[in-house]
Amino acid sequence: MKNHSFLTPGILAIGLLLTGCAGESTSDTSNEGGEDSTQISFIHWRGEDKAVLDDIIAQFEEENPDISVEMTIYPSEQYQATGQRLLQDGSTGDVFTSFPGAQFEAIASAGLFEDLSGEDFVSNFDEELITVGQKDEAQLALPYQLVFNMPVYNKGMFEELGLEVPKSWTEFQEMADTLLENDITPIAFPGADIGPNQFMNSMMMNNAPDEDIFEKLQNGEETLTNEWWVKTLEDFQLLEQNGYIQDDALGTSQDSAMAMVANEEAAMLATGSYHMSALLGLNPDLQLDLMAPITVEESEAVYEGINTATFMLAVNSQSEKKEQAKEFIAFLSQPEIASQYANETGQHLTVNDVEYESEVLQNTAYWIDERTTRFQPRFLITNAQIEAAVLGSIENVLGGADPMTAAEEAQQLVDENRE
Amino acid sequence: MKISKSIYLFFLPGLLLYAIFFIYPTISALFYSFTDWDGLSQSFQFVGISNYERAFTGDTIFRKSIGNNLKFMLVVVVFQTLIALAFALIVLKNNKTTIFLRALYFFPTILSSVSVAFIWSFIYDPSLGILNQVLELVGLGFLAQNWLGNADIAIYSLAVTQVWFHAGQMLIIFVAGLQAIPDELYEVAKIEGANKWQTFRTVTWPLLAPSATIVIAYTTIQSFKAFDLVFAMTGGGPNNSTEIVATYIFDIAFRSYQFGYASAISVIFMIIIAIITFLQFKALRSDRISY
Repeated sequence: MKNHSFLTPGILAIGLLLTGCAGESTSDTSNEGGEDSTQISFIHWRGEDKAVLDDIIAQFEEENPDISVEMTIYPSEQYQATGQRLLQDGSTGDVFTSFPGAQFEAIASAGLFEDLSGEDFVSNFDEELITVGQKDEAQLALPYQLVFNMPVYNKGMFEELGLEVPKSWTEFQEMADTLLENDITPIAFPGADIGPNQFMNSMMMNNAPDEDIFEKLQNGEETLTNEWWVKTLEDFQLLEQNGYIQDDALGTSQDSAMAMVANEEAAMLATGSYHMSALLGLNPDLQLDLMAPITVEESEAVYEGINTATFMLAVNSQSEKKEQAKEFIAFLSQPEIASQYANETGQHLTVNDVEYESEVLQNTAYWIDERTTRFQPRFLITNAQIEAAVLGSIENVLGGADPMTAAEEAQQLVDENRE
Repeated sequence: MKISKSIYLFFLPGLLLYAIFFIYPTISALFYSFTDWDGLSQSFQFVGISNYERAFTGDTIFRKSIGNNLKFMLVVVVFQTLIALAFALIVLKNNKTTIFLRALYFFPTILSSVSVAFIWSFIYDPSLGILNQVLELVGLGFLAQNWLGNADIAIYSLAVTQVWFHAGQMLIIFVAGLQAIPDELYEVAKIEGANKWQTFRTVTWPLLAPSATIVIAYTTIQSFKAFDLVFAMTGGGPNNSTEIVATYIFDIAFRSYQFGYASAISVIFMIIIAIITFLQFKALRSDRISY
């Protein structure tokens, strides 16, 4: 075993060069605490949340005059390339954020998460929605923002056309045919960017209801050439061949797909709840809700939708200010603060007793408690190369490949990258 | 004349920067390439040459990314060089129009890669993009394509963007090279009765060889390193069809947390670029003529 901390500057240099030195933003809202104040560093990539977090930090500092928070926001890719490497020496990122999945696993393996099990503020969160931040029975990170990454649909359009939310794959196809008859593209699919990695979740959730399916794939107990994945690819092929997604879907960006839904050229947007606010910004007259395709018969359906955490809050195990860092997370988990964050960002949260003010958040909040949703399977692929192989097979099929051939090619990549 | 030893101090700032930003990362990469370091942990194991073995024998995407890089490089080197040369010949003489045109052709070079990626992603968009719309408008709708979404052509679409982005830069090098050719040689060629093509082949091109060497070598290296444009426009997709080595290294290092393996690929990549550049220099050097 070798210690390599002397090489960290070199790694940071490479990372900065690769990410083009995209600029991070740093906020230090107050220093009224003066010399007695302990400053903690909070790093994340959520640039769009800066304003609300600045305000929340100001409130935190008012309530805790002996603690100040320096918030540094990195562009997402730069955060991956360099930001989290700063965690190693403990001087940066006393509080930091992590994606679930491969990033969480890597940070956990490096021992950079402080175990938050037993902290009082953990009980402020919905226990069913924070399991993704657990490893080896320890609560290493706390999912904060709750997103339903399943298609958003135009509820008003459905009502006008007399369409019901389909409960089976047969009904889904009938619904899509009706939309096509009315010159409406059933699904706007942003295949050029986030489409495959978002839509794969709801397309496979009932084809492979086993939540350990990707763990089994990674350890060799399952393969992509088995029925659960080949059927998923066949379902994608059907969507493409029947015109249920728009032509040239693999070249369509999320902006273009959103425009299709906002202009009512398409009925569904194959991304997630996080786009609802933006869609309403483009067309305030839309009535929106969420709907995942049920790709099996009604009696076989286990799940109705997908949930995920876009980011998880964590305390750096290398930090010398862990108690202050925990104070900050405790503050963020207070219902009134969480409510402010939720309403100003237009997103649901994993925190209990949040009061959603906007109509769209209120109207879709029933998905949190009343519907059977599954944590997004993609984030359960902890090997990023295997994840890329899985997603690549979807793109391959949408590009015209036979589903079994695409599955075989992807399985070869899985075999190459299995640890 | 006696040279003071203190003159060597003037080399220090440059040498220091070179050491920090090139020699040190290169040695670090070489060192890590023999380890299994994940980029985050405090420790790692030495794994011998297994990362290199994996790259050469067990990594389909790495081989595919080299293939994509070569396709990208060939298109970019050929078209960027020819277009830059053709435009340089057009704007060679110094007058207001040609100076304006030089500035116009050079303009894309000053844009940031992210801006270029944004502009061209919009141009290529299959439904909203102006390229397909213009093709439809002029009756060439049959040529409309899913430029970035079709795995068979996406890498070439990116190459076109790269040519647009950097041809102006190469044009300036060619203009400088062309303007350095003595007029007397053209006069002699004219007296000898050489036509335009013969003049170009026997006078212009041989004397332009040093500039061409720089342009081709620089374009080659630049096309191998075209990380930002590819990353922003396609992210390597669809289905790895535009994955190039630089984007693959990023994926392996910063998404898969296999820093040791990413370092091994980087070392191989550096050697490939060095070999190709060396061969180009050798080939182009033989074309040089001096009068």
